[in-house]
Amino acid sequence: MTRTDNKKIKIGAFLFPLILLALGIGYSFYVVNYPQDKIVSNYVTYSKIFKLLSQHIGLVMASAGAAIVASVPLGIFLTRPKFKRFTNVVVGIVNVGQTVPSLAILALFVSFLGVGFKSGVFALWVYSLLPILNNTLAGILGVDKSILEAAKGMGMTATKILTKIELPIAYPVIMAGIRTAVTINIGTATLAAFIGAGGLGDLIIAGNNINRWQIVILGAVLSALLALLTDYLMSLFEDHLKNI
Amino acid sequence: MIKKSKRVRSLVLTLVLLLIAVSLSACGGKDDNTIKIGSKEFTEQLLLGKITVIALEDAGFQVEDKTGVAGSDKVRLALENGDFSMYWEYTGTAWLSQLQHDDPITDPQEAYEKVRDEDANNGLIWLQYAPLNNTYTLMMRRADSEELGIKTISDLAEYINSNPGELRVAIDHEFSIRPDGYPGVQEHYGFSQGEDEIKIMDLGIMYKTLKEEQVDVAMGFATDGRIPAYDLVNLEDDKAFFPVYNAAPVVRSEVLENNPEIEDILQKIAVLLDTEAMMKLNYEVDINEREPEEVAREWLQSEELID
Repeated sequence: MTRTDNKKIKIGAFLFPLILLALGIGYSFYVVNYPQDKIVSNYVTYSKIFKLLSQHIGLVMASAGAAIVASVPLGIFLTRPKFKRFTNVVVGIVNVGQTVPSLAILALFVSFLGVGFKSGVFALWVYSLLPILNNTLAGILGVDKSILEAAKGMGMTATKILTKIELPIAYPVIMAGIRTAVTINIGTATLAAFIGAGGLGDLIIAGNNINRWQIVILGAVLSALLALLTDYLMSLFEDHLKNI
Repeated sequence: MIKKSKRVRSLVLTLVLLLIAVSLSACGGKDDNTIKIGSKEFTEQLLLGKITVIALEDAGFQVEDKTGVAGSDKVRLALENGDFSMYWEYTGTAWLSQLQHDDPITDPQEAYEKVRDEDANNGLIWLQYAPLNNTYTLMMRRADSEELGIKTISDLAEYINSNPGELRVAIDHEFSIRPDGYPGVQEHYGFSQGEDEIKIMDLGIMYKTLKEEQVDVAMGFATDGRIPAYDLVNLEDDKAFFPVYNAAPVVRSEVLENNPEIEDILQKIAVLLDTEAMMKLNYEVDINEREPEEVAREWLQSEELID
């Protein structure tokens, strides 16, 4: 890679998130300073936006983080020869969780976990498991058998084969699963507002109920920008790790 | 040979039947005088819609059942552009959301007259309103209400002011933002709470959440059948903050001109529907899980409005 190429990428790396941030801040500024009526101006304030945004990020980070911590090791575990026979059962169970409508999961667990943050995180966690687990399995199982045979022939231990060969080769596929899960999670997290967990969904639901488009668009724009920005940061992180 | 003639005969018969069916349905479709009855999607609205459908059918009108449309705005739009001939609307909802005023009215007659007069210009006629008032309410579990001696919203305000941080309150998104919603209640009754004590959630889980003691106070709708079923009590709005939400049939003016007898039928229904009666009907559907249509028919029969 030449020097100029490197520079171009760096400028791009700053420019894209800056544009997203500017859009988010710009639209928030517009709604707060030029509200369509008294109801909007009473409801939308900077501190409100900041509070809902941080609630949203908190929900996503907790649930997606827990899903990564659960799914990646589970995926590795299920690809070991001894445990391969459990793969279908486990994927089946996780799949069932995925097929139950997200709103239903939220409503069902409110009785056990209470209204608010905990139920929201749990439902989002269930929802993020499958894409990460599936991609971890696909990535590791997709490694060319002849490479594994060669490694075995060279006398590498199972652990070494995993860390030096299987995981590095599967890495892009696993990361793709994580990125998909987190991006979907940011959108789904708007539903957490139905069970008292707050987040940007508050803006969308309240705005829709009282028919104030400015508030609905604010919630939608901020969560869309958050998803784009997060996906972008994850891609940078992915490249960074690849280059190590 | 026998087989063949049988087949021909059955073919002819099918064709004749098809022709009859098509011509019948064409007649039905071309009848401009069909009364299209709409409603919103929640229990009380379905009941009001079905009651109207059954009563008008019984009186010999050609009726089309279009009940169960989600969203006040969509229902109103359907009435305005003629997809509905009529539906039951609440005076408070029409005043605040559809006619976009921001001063809530707490007197039933005044609210009714104001929306009636303004909507007359829109070609919509508000008939006699029912005494039922499906207004917002603040609810508590009966045991708590008795133990803490909180019967009215003034009692609640006093309790919250002297025991800050103790009671958790559930409200929905709309109530958190409307001019006649929670911030207004706090201001009117003179109390305030920390943000963590107020949980904003979907209306659908509100009653259950209160029953399961995850919160201590929740907003609700005064005629909801779950209030008696879950042993909850409505706190009395002793300083008259909440606007009134009397239900009334709203009919397109040309429909009423062509079918003036409707007014008389609907008036007989409206006067009988008070908050208690409506709560009982809602209870039958929400708690006893019966079909709105069945409950509506049974009520009309018990009031001797139909045979």
